Amino acid sequence: MQLIHGNQGPVDELTVLTVCGVGMGTSLILRMTAEKVFSELGLRARVTATDASSARSMPADVVIGQELHTAEFEGRVPVVVAVDNFLDTGEMRDKLLAAMERAGWLVT
Amino acid sequence: MAGDLKTTPAVSARVRVAAGSWPAAVRAAGRGLVDAGAAEDRYVERCVANVEADGPYIVVAPGIALAHARPEDGALGLGVSVALLDAPVPFGHDANDPVDVVFAFCSPDRDSHVGLLGSLARQLVSGLADRLRAAADDEAATGVLKEVIADV
Repeated sequence: MQLIHGNQGPVDELTVLTVCGVGMGTSLILRMTAEKVFSELGLRARVTATDASSARSMPADVVIGQELHTAEFEGRVPVVVAVDNFLDTGEMRDKLLAAMERAGWLVT
Repeated sequence: MAGDLKTTPAVSARVRVAAGSWPAAVRAAGRGLVDAGAAEDRYVERCVANVEADGPYIVVAPGIALAHARPEDGALGLGVSVALLDAPVPFGHDANDPVDVVFAFCSPDRDSHVGLLGSLARQLVSGLADRLRAAADDEAATGVLKEVIADV
């Protein structure tokens, strides 16, 4: 799978933030799940775990977290993914692909 | 637990914990860290306060919560504990309630726990919660949780 569009046009690596309240617990779990998902999709991604308030000042193509933390990124980050089960790669993959499609990002 | 708490995690597990509410469940898990010498009392209250302030985002999967605070909130070393509740309690999470497996962890800095949490996540994906639920007593549950450390 090849990503042919990103935040700044064509990219070969996505900048991904996994967010939670403190930035060192659930966001780390999310990072591991996200790395697995991007790897399975064959998409290159640099995934950083952080707290939601730090994430506000960090550039990103994709933000992943619980809806509580991702809602504020809608409209500011192109691909926003709210997940319920942080351990479930299937849920994250499905929601990620749907969000990328909504953003008009092409994955071929 | 022998060894340097900076590198060797303190481990604690309790079965059949009667909690009745999510704050009591978080405190029970946090108490394990204090008893193991890995955190101060105030760390436990920060774990509760974080959920009060920021919502139930620590409920990472159906039935499973992962409570924690920051290193500066009274963490003394690296530690992981679990409270296995005798009856599940709601955390107010739309998708993942109710919760009966409550982990708590603490880390002396922002990096030391990364390997531990990675192992925890891998083990949770491969059925750690059910193995803990099946543990007959504290000792058995502690043994199961120690597998997480062996995997670091």
